[in-house]
Amino acid sequence: MENLGIGIQLMIVGMLTVFCILLIVINLGKLLIKVVNAVAPEEQVAPKKAAAASAPAAAIDATTMAILEQTVSQLTGGKGHVASAKKI
Amino acid sequence: MQEILEKLWDMTALSSIGAQPTFLIMYLLAFVLLYLGIVKKYEPLLLVPIAFGVLIANFPGGGMGVIQADPNGMVLVNGVEKNIYEMPLHEIAHDLGLMNYLYYALIKSGLLPPIIFMGVGALTDFGPMLRNLKLSIFGAAAQMGIFTVLLVALLAGFTPQEAGSLGIIGGADGPTAIFTTIQLAPHLLGPIAIAAYSYMALVPVIIPLVVKLLCTKKELKINMKEQDKLYPNKTEIKNLRVAKIVFPIAVTTIVAIFVPTAVSLVGMLMFGNLIKEIGADTNRLFDAASNGIMNAATIFLGLCVGATMTAEAFLNVQTLGIVAGGFCAFALSIASGIFMVKIWNLIAKKKINPLIGATGLSAVPMASRVCNEISTKYDPKNHVLNYCMASNISGVIGSAVAAGVLISFLK
Repeated sequence: MENLGIGIQLMIVGMLTVFCILLIVINLGKLLIKVVNAVAPEEQVAPKKAAAASAPAAAIDATTMAILEQTVSQLTGGKGHVASAKKI
Repeated sequence: MQEILEKLWDMTALSSIGAQPTFLIMYLLAFVLLYLGIVKKYEPLLLVPIAFGVLIANFPGGGMGVIQADPNGMVLVNGVEKNIYEMPLHEIAHDLGLMNYLYYALIKSGLLPPIIFMGVGALTDFGPMLRNLKLSIFGAAAQMGIFTVLLVALLAGFTPQEAGSLGIIGGADGPTAIFTTIQLAPHLLGPIAIAAYSYMALVPVIIPLVVKLLCTKKELKINMKEQDKLYPNKTEIKNLRVAKIVFPIAVTTIVAIFVPTAVSLVGMLMFGNLIKEIGADTNRLFDAASNGIMNAATIFLGLCVGATMTAEAFLNVQTLGIVAGGFCAFALSIASGIFMVKIWNLIAKKKINPLIGATGLSAVPMASRVCNEISTKYDPKNHVLNYCMASNISGVIGSAVAAGVLISFLK
């Protein structure tokens, strides 16, 4: 019976602590976002990076086109050609 | 000649296995666990080392089984009673073998679970949680299973320390379960670790089962993105990178102030995450934490936990109780999260898919993936993964805090 008392006490204290800590974490997170929004500059994608990113994308496209071209050509015995390919 | 043959027979493990056939049950258990890990791919990174540890620990004469000290720390070494905590490590290695050296140096000292938490932190993205902070509260509700099973275990005759260790299985977090058990009931480490990791591996089976029992189709079709459009979040994160760097520091500070016993777990989790989020400047540390150190820690943890499961320590009624109780703790944690969402939906305008409550227990990210699969089964466009991750990650913090409370009160 004494153990049961310990169990009930632990359940109440434990659940309350977990809820309180996570509520604090949630509100801390909200506060942190407000402070960061006010203090830190907005995240921006650097144009240099964007240009750099588009270059490999074009290269990948060319490679993909070449693979598609070769596959279609092989499947159709050289009769078929790929006019254009679009990423869906 | 006969004498030589007898000596040869005694040299092999066969004579001892013949005298004590319970070893065969342990081999069978090891083979089943190896099968689940290798063939069924259930948590292979953990089940394989644990299963192999079980196997090598149960060959008589091999000296690879972990010897558990009594509550006073006494063990029998070559017929002499010694206090293992007063024995230097090289003496443990010499007298009790390699596995006992590893166990007492790495596990019993409480070293490896926080190290693994550091690796988990390095592999975790707190972005989904920061974007959906409100959903984190379901990570608290899902800890109910821990305390309910603790209560039931006390009624079943377990000591408070044993009941606490049994209940923590409901946190669905292997390192937390091991860390708590080492502190409270080290003699139960083997069965509790096996139960915790087995149920974590069975998340794809247990979550759908509980969800099917407790949720309606209508509830499971609640589309979180549509709810977001109807009731958009008021705060937008303008610089997520900075927020992600400050968040682990802030959480560690708060947890350290309120529940210092949970700091070894939460602190290391957040440290791992911090070195990940800082980026290029700490990339080498991140790489070490998430690869080399994490992998080495996982190997030693798995092998040592497996080696605690010797036939005499494992084959008893208490182990069956732990296996059954662990399942209840796990299922109850999932159910509590679901019920919390149901209550929330009664009050709030913005409805929440109950699957987000079901992921309030840890088991990151498998629980979220499983719940996403369930939701897309009912509506192929309803992807809840990011929302589930919010409660899933907060569940890790929640279970570590619950462990901290148990250790503070019961140690």
